[in-house]
Amino acid sequence: MAYLVMFHWGWLLASFLLGLAMGWISVVQRGEGLSKVTSRWVAALIVVLVALAAARVVPGRFGYWLDLGLILFPCYLIGCTIGAVLRNWVVARQRAQQAA
Amino acid sequence: MHGLFSWSRKWWPGVILLVAFWAIAAWTNTVPLEADLAAKGSAALKDAVLDKTQVSVDGRDVTLAAEAFSQEGRKNALAAVEAVAGVRLVNDETRLVPEAKPFVWSAERDVTRVTLSGSAPLPASKAKLLDAGHAAVNGVEIVDQMGLARGAPPRFEDAAALLLTQVGKLKDGKVTISDISVSLSGMARDLGGREAIAAALKDLPEGFKVTANDVKAPPYVFQAYKDPVAVTLTLSGYVPDDKIHAAVAQAAAHKFFGEKLVDNLKSSVGAPSGFAPAVIPALGALARLSTGTLVVSDREVKLSGDALYEGAAAEIRAGLGKDFPNSFQYTPEISVKPASAPVDPTVCQQLFTDLLSKGRIRFEPSRTTLDPDSIALLDRLIEIALRCPTADIEVAGHTDGDGEDGFNQELSQKRAQVVVDYLVKAGLPASRFTAVGYGSTQPIASNDTDEGKAQNRRIEFLVR
Repeated sequence: MAYLVMFHWGWLLASFLLGLAMGWISVVQRGEGLSKVTSRWVAALIVVLVALAAARVVPGRFGYWLDLGLILFPCYLIGCTIGAVLRNWVVARQRAQQAA
Repeated sequence: MHGLFSWSRKWWPGVILLVAFWAIAAWTNTVPLEADLAAKGSAALKDAVLDKTQVSVDGRDVTLAAEAFSQEGRKNALAAVEAVAGVRLVNDETRLVPEAKPFVWSAERDVTRVTLSGSAPLPASKAKLLDAGHAAVNGVEIVDQMGLARGAPPRFEDAAALLLTQVGKLKDGKVTISDISVSLSGMARDLGGREAIAAALKDLPEGFKVTANDVKAPPYVFQAYKDPVAVTLTLSGYVPDDKIHAAVAQAAAHKFFGEKLVDNLKSSVGAPSGFAPAVIPALGALARLSTGTLVVSDREVKLSGDALYEGAAAEIRAGLGKDFPNSFQYTPEISVKPASAPVDPTVCQQLFTDLLSKGRIRFEPSRTTLDPDSIALLDRLIEIALRCPTADIEVAGHTDGDGEDGFNQELSQKRAQVVVDYLVKAGLPASRFTAVGYGSTQPIASNDTDEGKAQNRRIEFLVR
């Protein structure tokens, strides 16, 4: 893991920044987004992929690419979360100022 | 928290871009990552003792193909690659080097090269043996046909290195180790080489044993050439030691007379046993020839040349006497020198006098037995007597002044008669010879000195 992080840190940072931007937008974006059912399917897919990676059953380059995807994705999610929380905090602060 | 869930459902558009990042990252990083892991994997195996090592990387999975020399070495190599940071899986394609039964190694030397073949236990031992080979046969090409195998006996390398040193002492031949058995064959480079090899084999590591040592020594050659023109006796080749060298030179001085001794003999070990008892009588036979060559090669004694008359030739062909060792083979190639032209009795007398001034007929002290060393001289006297068939000859015996007159007269008479008997036995008519003993009545030098006495003890040939 440490080796993968060291080797791909640029791409991980890019994923994090992408997530940060996406999280920033998501707070004020209109619309419903993914349905609950689809979200569950996506979650299930990710669990399966993590399980495959942990079991090391995908051979060779495909196995490496899976591992690579599975470290990029959390970085993106962390970026999204931080972006959304920050935007929410900014929006809440603006609303409080307007109300005052 | 509820907000986070509702926001997260709107994060999917970014995933499209994320997938693009993923694809680009995979595209650009796969080959560098594989190269990096391959280099680190190879570096981790730097100290491992393996043969035919191949490290190939597919993604983060490393395939290690190699031949190991022990189970432990095999496990350690796999563990070393697994420990490399970033490696996900190691595919084990290692195997143990095949075991050789029996474990055979050999070094063969011919005229141009030394070929090492068979099995070596480790790559390092192969290199060590090649170095030992270069050191042993400096300048000769070394051909490496050794493979690698398990199953070498303990201290194999030491044994093989010692044998390679012995290959340096061979002209051609082969040394072989088969498990703990050592065998050698071939021809030693120098005299004494065979003995040196046999001595060195005593230092073989414990556990090894010599099952066959068929190294042959080069022939041990002794040569003597009697040249009647230069009037020389040339000795060449080898004698076992200084003592036998002195004995051979002394025998040559006694048996030959007039010839100048050219001594080119060298001392060397490796002589067949019974060397001196074979060579000394052979020198006596050579002395009887007008011209001839004696070659003693190992246990073969070859004498060729011209005898002075038929009787002498027959005696020389018959053998070299009872003391000649049975283990030696005697090959005479004796012809008879063509008879010299007849001469007047006065010339004959001159020839007798000349010859007897160069050498004396010797007897055992105070006895009438001819000294065998005088036979060559007697042969020459017989040859002269044959050249003047009409001359009657008085064989006169003289003694020195020591002892009683009666005894001296009788001794001189008997000694003269022994000489006459020898001449008659050689084929000359008895009627031509008269034996006369003069005792000490006709001295030619003072009887007061040993030198004078020696001159007075003599046999003279007088043509009447």
